Amino acid sequence: MENFEYFEPKTVQEACTLLTQSENGKVLAGGASLVVLLKNKLIFPDRLINLKTIEGLNRIELNPQGELSIGALCRHRDIESSPVIQERFEILAEAASKISSPPIRNMGTIGGGICHADPSADFPPALIALEARLKVSGSKRSRTIPIHEFFTDYYETVLEPDEILTEILIPPLPSPSGGVYLKLDKTTNSVAILGIGAVISLDKKENCTFAGLGVGGAAPTPLAIKEVSSLAGKPVDIHSIEAVASAAVKQSHPISNVHASEDYRREMVGVLVKRALKQALERAGKKVTSS
Amino acid sequence: MKKDIELRINGAPYRLSVEPGRTLLQVLREDLGLTGTKEGCASGECGACTVLLDGEPVRSCLILAVDARGQEIMTIEGVAENGKPHKIQQAFIDFGAIQCGFCTPGMILVAKALLEKAPQPGEEEIRKAISGNLCRCTGYVKIIKAIEAASQPWYFVSKKG
Repeated sequence: MENFEYFEPKTVQEACTLLTQSENGKVLAGGASLVVLLKNKLIFPDRLINLKTIEGLNRIELNPQGELSIGALCRHRDIESSPVIQERFEILAEAASKISSPPIRNMGTIGGGICHADPSADFPPALIALEARLKVSGSKRSRTIPIHEFFTDYYETVLEPDEILTEILIPPLPSPSGGVYLKLDKTTNSVAILGIGAVISLDKKENCTFAGLGVGGAAPTPLAIKEVSSLAGKPVDIHSIEAVASAAVKQSHPISNVHASEDYRREMVGVLVKRALKQALERAGKKVTSS
Repeated sequence: MKKDIELRINGAPYRLSVEPGRTLLQVLREDLGLTGTKEGCASGECGACTVLLDGEPVRSCLILAVDARGQEIMTIEGVAENGKPHKIQQAFIDFGAIQCGFCTPGMILVAKALLEKAPQPGEEEIRKAISGNLCRCTGYVKIIKAIEAASQPWYFVSKKG
């Protein structure tokens, strides 16, 4: 772990250039995941580039249109305790509050958590439900990637070697909307067996205008369940929720590991998706009808 | 290649030359002899290595020493006031909240950060605050009682009486 060069760039551009010049450089944010990989000799970067010396990557801002921008270096604790997120994007504060233990939440960042691409990570299902977009800077170009296109495999993303995630953009949520993040885990601080993010928006007649659903822990990447869009355009009832839940189960292809078996995970996807959509609807101000 | 850094630990500045791959925990224990901070799991799960960074509990086993520059670091060695145990430390002694003692520095630092934010926390809040710190002796009940007592304004008064 001693054999790398260490850099403290002042700008994102400088950091991208440092990455371009390296063979297998890594960027350091909170360190909660990266330092574990370094210590266990799972990665051997020739360069470590500390992003915390770049100013302006830890802001949380709501623009006049209601779009939320979260800097990639915002810590889980910052998101959990942000009044604007608690008030308007409760699902994100909820996901942040369930990540690991309080001291890790004082260190880990949302950008680091996303780019680490652990399929059981807590933020991605919530961000998928919110249809977040990721702003990425490279040495030659910048681009914005919809979160459901970001993850490619276990711990793999579409990021090029010279690219850095700088900002997470969340589109405005109309009122009333309800969002919920449900986590299935063994103890308070343990890794998610499954994580479900669900968002539902309603119009004045209580017809659904938008529904988003993300599932973590059920496949090599967090899943975006497209069938949830079938809830839009009409009142949400238990039958349509059940149809979405079975679509989510079909899309799941989990593994068995020490935390849970493949069958258990698949079974629980159905149970928890139903529960999450019902709770999202309740938070939007409506009870689900059984008819 | 070594890097020259200055760390502020328990209010005092330390000038050091460290390899960038060394963790804050390694530098505290091995270079500075501050062995009150313990190494347990070395992967951020157990909380034995907890220190306060600008007043907030963090895992020193997952922070590179070069990355801790410019922040106020507090270890268990910095908790006593004027040579006397801090009231949280006193409460741990009085309540028998120490068994083998390995988790104690982390527990006390987490409790200190909690009481500075929430001077009189409820049991639920205390449980949440220490949820990232494992006690292999499983003496959690006494630890919670000690933190609860230390948060009470009457605690020291009755001790003196």
